[in-house]
Parts: sequence; C-alpha cells; structure tokens
Amino acid sequence: MHSDPTDLIHRAQQGDRTAFEALYRAHAGRVYALCLRLTADRALAEERTQDAFVRAWERLATFRGESAFSSWLHRLTVNEVLLGRRAERRREQRVVTSDDPAALERPGGADASSGSALDLERAVAALPAGAREVFVLHDVEGYRHEEIAELTGIAVGTSKAQLFRARRLLREALNR
Amino acid sequence: MTGPHRETKLNEYVDGTLAAHDRASVEAHLADCAACRAAVAELRSLSAAAASLPKSIEPGRDLWAGVETRIAQRATWNVQRLQWRAALAAAAAVVIALGLYRLLPPSTAPYRPAGQGWAAVQADFDRTTSELGLIFAAERERLRPETVVLLERNLAIIDAAMAESRAALARDPASVELRGLFAAAARQKVELLQWVVRVAAS
Repeated sequence: MHSDPTDLIHRAQQGDRTAFEALYRAHAGRVYALCLRLTADRALAEERTQDAFVRAWERLATFRGESAFSSWLHRLTVNEVLLGRRAERRREQRVVTSDDPAALERPGGADASSGSALDLERAVAALPAGAREVFVLHDVEGYRHEEIAELTGIAVGTSKAQLFRARRLLREALNR
Repeated sequence: MTGPHRETKLNEYVDGTLAAHDRASVEAHLADCAACRAAVAELRSLSAAAASLPKSIEPGRDLWAGVETRIAQRATWNVQRLQWRAALAAAAAVVIALGLYRLLPPSTAPYRPAGQGWAAVQADFDRTTSELGLIFAAERERLRPETVVLLERNLAIIDAAMAESRAALARDPASVELRGLFAAAARQKVELLQWVVRVAAS
C-alpha cells in the first residue's frame, strides 16, 4: 500500500505511530546506509539508525516542510551520528578495516553492488574517521563544504583538507 | 605544480571550485603534464564511483521494534514527568501563597493567623524554595548553559541578601523593616525559580 508522504508526516505529527512506521519503512535503508558509511561499524550503524528515528519522532513537530522530509531526516541523522561519536570518543575506536569486509556487505542485496563498488566501500570504511565523514558527506551524499562545516563544527578549509586527504588515501588503497 | 599545492589545485579543478584564472592556469598545465592528467582522471573516476554508490542499504535486521519500544517508553515517561511537574508546581503554588502571606508585615496582613511565629515562616519559605529547587535541578539540562550560569549567579546574590536579613533578624526579631527586607528577597528568589520552571517547561 502506498500512502501520500505528506499525509503520513501529518498523521505522524499528530502522534500516529502506524504512520511513523510507514515513514520508517520508506526511509530506513537510506538512513542506515548513511549511518553505516559514517560509522564504518554495522552494530553502531544499527544503533544510530534507531537513535535517528527516535529523535525524528521527538522532533517531528519542528518539521515545517520547508525542505524535503528526507533532507530533514538525513541532516538529523548526521547530527545523531556525530553526537554519538563525541560520546564514544573515550571508548575504543571500532573501525572496520579491509580485514573485516563482511561488515560492509549488503545483507540480502550483495548482487546490486559491483566488485569495484565493494572495494570502494571497504576502502572508505578503512579511512580515518574525520576524512571518512567528510568524504561520505561530500562525495557520496553531495553536501557542500559549507554545509559540512555547519553540520560537523569544522572550518570549511578543514573540510576541504579532509576531503582531499580522503581522496588521496582512497586512490592509494584502490591502486594497490 | 608540486606537493600539497598541486593536490589542492587538482581537487578543486575536479570539483569545479576554482576561479576562472586558476582554472585556465591548471588547464594550461594539464596540457603539458601527463602525471597530472592521470591524477585528474583518477579523481574524477573516484568521485563518480562515490556518487553512484547505492544510496540505500537495508539493515541486516528489522530495527523498527527497537524504535517503537523507545518511542513508547518516552511517551510514558513524558506523561509521568508532566504529572510530577504539575503536582510539584501546584504544591509549590500553595506553599508560596501561604509563605508570602505569612511574610507580610503585620500592618499589611491583618488577618494573619495567630500563633504563626518566625520559625514557621522560614520553614514555609525553605520548603517552597526547596521544591522549586528540585524542579530546577531536574530541568536544568533543558536550559542553555549560559542561562544556568546567570541564574546561579543571581540566586547566589539573593541568598547572600537573605542571609544578611536572617542574621539581622536574629538580633532584632520583631523589626518590621527587616521582615520586609527578608520578604522582598524571598519573593525575588521564588519568582526567579518560578521563571526557571516556566522557561524549562516551554
């Protein structure tokens, strides 16, 4: 059954959890992909996906429709991931390396990813956190440096430097 | 072009963020430099591959149940929190009314109940501020840090004024002027805490 997204959002804003579940079903894959690439950790990505949807539920009243719901949700997700990373800073960093490629395979959908795309996913996952976040936001998600700076709290120049560093490291990794 | 400067220029060239004269300069260089042409081709290929990665990846398990449980818990918690806050606010309002009534000098409170001594007045006030203080403690994380700092500074000033009034009243318990001074400071403290509760709840 396909429901009108505007109607779903409106109903969810009134507290209708069934409508919110429909929104979750429509956007979970997109949010999870973003969390997985930003964290490079499947378990953490699942946690952050749930955090993002709980936060979205709490803040639904603030969504006024100025932007697309998906853009609003993705920004909120990036914020949740970055907030989570700050909270986890003292814990051991859990970065998936190319020794653990299974963590990035797509459950139930591996055939949709070519070999070179999988190589790229693995190489992105092995990047240092700061470089990975900027690369994912800029080159994968299409955010501008100004937006990344606003979201992450870094300077525009730092965002550019991290992006160029990420691309250099990826070229080196993929050319090996 | 060499070193980091080269890397920056080539990346910005690929991203299309160079000014016209820099872009022309890079293009002139590329015409003569096979290594930089290869680097540009690689950067373009990398960016294109990144942009075409799948935008959606289904989680390995259904995460909705966890989301739904947390949403339900929050809803219950919010109701309890509202009930608790409403109960405290109602109790505090009664105590404030009683306390301020008793704090009024005798000339302005002709119907003040007989036998209410200074100890009872202070106890009412302490209970009021303690209850409002509890709400403040529970809600302080909802306030901006700079607001909390300002608030604590103001509360400290009021507390100091009240401590002076209390000390003076200990020496001259029957003084109407000193009671008036204490009442004014007490009213300020109660009003400030009430304001905090309103702001935190908004």
